[in-house]
Amino acid sequence: MIRNAFSRALVAGRAGFLQVAPQSASVAGCRHMSKVAESDEQLTARYVQYFESKDIDHWWLSKHINDLAGTDAVPEPDIIKACLHACRRLNDIAMAVRFMEIVHFKCGNRVKEIYPYVLQEVGPTLNELGIPTPEELGMDKPQLALEDVYDM
Amino acid sequence: MEMHIVSMATVTGTLLRRCSRLSAAAAPLSTSARALGGGGLPTVVERHGNRMVIGYGFNGEPNYIDRVDYPIPAVRFKEDNAQIKVLREKERGDWKKLTKEEVQELYRATFCRSFAEMQAPTGEWKLVLGGTMLACSIAVWIYLFMKVFVYEKLPDTITNPEKVEAQVQRMIDLRMNPVQGIASEWDYEKGQWKN
Repeated sequence: MIRNAFSRALVAGRAGFLQVAPQSASVAGCRHMSKVAESDEQLTARYVQYFESKDIDHWWLSKHINDLAGTDAVPEPDIIKACLHACRRLNDIAMAVRFMEIVHFKCGNRVKEIYPYVLQEVGPTLNELGIPTPEELGMDKPQLALEDVYDM
Repeated sequence: MEMHIVSMATVTGTLLRRCSRLSAAAAPLSTSARALGGGGLPTVVERHGNRMVIGYGFNGEPNYIDRVDYPIPAVRFKEDNAQIKVLREKERGDWKKLTKEEVQELYRATFCRSFAEMQAPTGEWKLVLGGTMLACSIAVWIYLFMKVFVYEKLPDTITNPEKVEAQVQRMIDLRMNPVQGIASEWDYEKGQWKN
């Protein structure tokens, strides 16, 4: 079945390839063909719901964090709190610290205005769960150097 | 430039996955024979070893890559050794009991570079600027070599001032370029250069 599909796709060319793709790419129920305008509150509520689900696993946590990073915006404090609680349920502090780094990165060049506000909103959750911020760990500056593959 | 380990059949694997009618939940992360249940590509080495798969990653292959736009890669960076296992047990308890060094250990076990390290300046601009200036200086040296050893002397119609004067006089007599050029600089009534 795989071989036939492969040769069929090659024969049909690029158009056939594109036709096949959406049918098997139905992940997370998002529609690729129609434009659905979602408000910020809806997006926030959706992601809070994702992170608050009781049986979240590493796969979905990674996927939702990567999608959230893909929206290329600073997540609302509610989403951040829900994500940190999800990391706690999964016993993964590395993901929590990485997520705080992501939030810092998404602030862009207005990090001095936005990040203190984020820390102010999310600070109680960080203290409650015992998650150090990247600054406290010294990770806001580079610590280790990685040799470039082109220099090896 | 990033440290990543890519499965051998990345492109073909993605092509095959799109063609086969597997649902998203059943789509495995690699195209090895073992993962696809007997069919699929033969003898693809599972290169991520014992490292725990934590997600889809950026292309569905179990690789590690530091990217600011896909911050959580598909696999952890390091395999679990005895030391890390101890820390993971401790991680199940209260996080306030973890020291900063232990948190860093756990972070480095999952991630290779922090965001600060990913975005740190490489200093490559110095290499590029230096290389460009070196190339320009070689070009200048080549020109000087040509001037000294290759080109002949300038002809005396240029070097001899009497001949140059005669040529300019001819240009004035012929009214060459009278609007903006040389004849426009000559005052024909007074018979001298305008100032």
